[in-house]
Amino acid sequence: MAISSYIDAFSIYLRTGDVSGMNDFCVNAEHLKRMSVYRNGFYKGCVDALAANFPMCEKFVGSNNFKDIARIYVDHYPPEKGTLVGYGLNFPDFLDDFITELKKQPEVLKLPTNLTDLARLDYAWLMSLMSADTNQALTAEKVTWLMNGGYDFTQSVVTLSASVILLQVRVGTLMQWIALKTNSSEIVQEENSANELAQSENSLSSDLVMLWRVQGSVQVRALSSPEWAVMHALQGEGDVLEKAFDTALVLDSDFDVSDVFSACIQNEILEIDMTKYNHNK
Amino acid sequence: MEQVHLKVNESPLPSSSLIAGAHLGAGLGLKAEHLDDILALPAVSETCTGSHLWFEVHTENYFVAGGPRLSYLRSIRENYDLSFHGVGGSLGYDHQSMPEHLKQVKTLIDEFQPALVSEHAVWSRSKGAYFADLMPLPRTHDALQSLVEGIDRYQLGIGQRILIENPSNYLDFTSEMDEPQFLVEAAHRSGCGLLIDINNLYISSKNTGIDVVEYLSQIPADLVGEIHIAGHDPDPELGQALLIDSHASAVDLPVWALLEHALSLFGHKPVLVERDANIPPFAELMHERQTAQGYLEQLRSNAA
Repeated sequence: MAISSYIDAFSIYLRTGDVSGMNDFCVNAEHLKRMSVYRNGFYKGCVDALAANFPMCEKFVGSNNFKDIARIYVDHYPPEKGTLVGYGLNFPDFLDDFITELKKQPEVLKLPTNLTDLARLDYAWLMSLMSADTNQALTAEKVTWLMNGGYDFTQSVVTLSASVILLQVRVGTLMQWIALKTNSSEIVQEENSANELAQSENSLSSDLVMLWRVQGSVQVRALSSPEWAVMHALQGEGDVLEKAFDTALVLDSDFDVSDVFSACIQNEILEIDMTKYNHNK
Repeated sequence: MEQVHLKVNESPLPSSSLIAGAHLGAGLGLKAEHLDDILALPAVSETCTGSHLWFEVHTENYFVAGGPRLSYLRSIRENYDLSFHGVGGSLGYDHQSMPEHLKQVKTLIDEFQPALVSEHAVWSRSKGAYFADLMPLPRTHDALQSLVEGIDRYQLGIGQRILIENPSNYLDFTSEMDEPQFLVEAAHRSGCGLLIDINNLYISSKNTGIDVVEYLSQIPADLVGEIHIAGHDPDPELGQALLIDSHASAVDLPVWALLEHALSLFGHKPVLVERDANIPPFAELMHERQTAQGYLEQLRSNAA
């Protein structure tokens, strides 16, 4: 017997529930129904992983609704890597399509559009939590060292720490996500009102959000447009510090560069390659 | 029962992993919720070989670039030996994406230097999909060849020998040999060792009627590098007619009895108490661990 035909029949069962192909490989036909142990295990593993990776989404729609949605996601996007860590990369986009589809059907569960953004925040939080540690954080000590060495640190190329994630979500969604995370129903109610108001006034507005990890704990906050401009400039390959802050000053001439820079230093948000300066520590 | 006569490969790999666990006693599966309890344990000078507490982790749960998950594993590693137990390697089939998987396993091994590295004699991947559970292999020559290739790739990828675990069986598939033959042959041909899961054997005996005593008698003691014990539960629909390898309850009495029998056959081996759901307080798991350690101590006093 070729193992490939056994695996193919088994895989079809796992993906579709059609067990007929396993008849040829099962010794006791009466035991075929026991195959459900494997299919249940597959789905349970994936659905539990999605619930763990999208905890505020699950909280928002309720455990049973989430399981139903997650099973459909597993059907469309089964895991590809041999680990469930980080499973669900496509879940926010899937939710987008799923919600659109549901809107076309009367008398079925209606999901709020911003569920997609709650999912994006959940996943961003997870990615920040699991991102690479850094030993290149730009610290106050390094700034002092550069200044004492006669370097103009404002001309240094600086990048964002690997844990920094920037994303835009529908206005009010960040506060809603924080409220879910902190079990604060009052914030949710207040924010829902604010959300409705904001959406009616300016449907294109969005929350600019930054997540980062400091001392093992993920932090999150909304950014102003100038702050967003700075972080955006420092993403990827990074930029000269002065140039990045200039992008903020273009948007707001009163932008307090010193305050924001200090906050970045305290929160280990910036990285610098000190080997360029023969700095050994 | 068909006899299997296949060529034994000469493995270029060091044999260290099979004997590295000789100093280990009974261990526990590491759970994040127990981190503070573990770090608060008094420093014990366990000079006696075979009594060391150790912890096992599912290797793939640490496929992260950084962050607190790796930090807490480092803090545990400062005081305890670790065992890396893979659940996503799919040794039995579809080895195409194994290099990327093994790269991550190797990175973890290089940093944490685990005393034991193990995987399962199962498949979990086909045509790009990962089925996130331990799927059984048919015990055929073709499946054996595929499993041996998977073990070879895994061992070469990480640069050391591994142990492979016997599966839980819920029903019988077409087979050309029995399970001990299948596993022992895989071990002989690949140079790997065996991880004998006593709970898997117990539930397989209830689900498919295998004779556990006969099964264990066919396993050469020198191939065994680790033993697992765990709890099981009846299937929600079929009840006691189908026992599920849930790892969600305490180790059952018949499993303890089989552990004692296995140790009498194999001699001292590291024993792991597994618990992956309904996680009890740490003290409760340590009590179970102490029971397992007691069997190991008894073995030693019997031998003295």
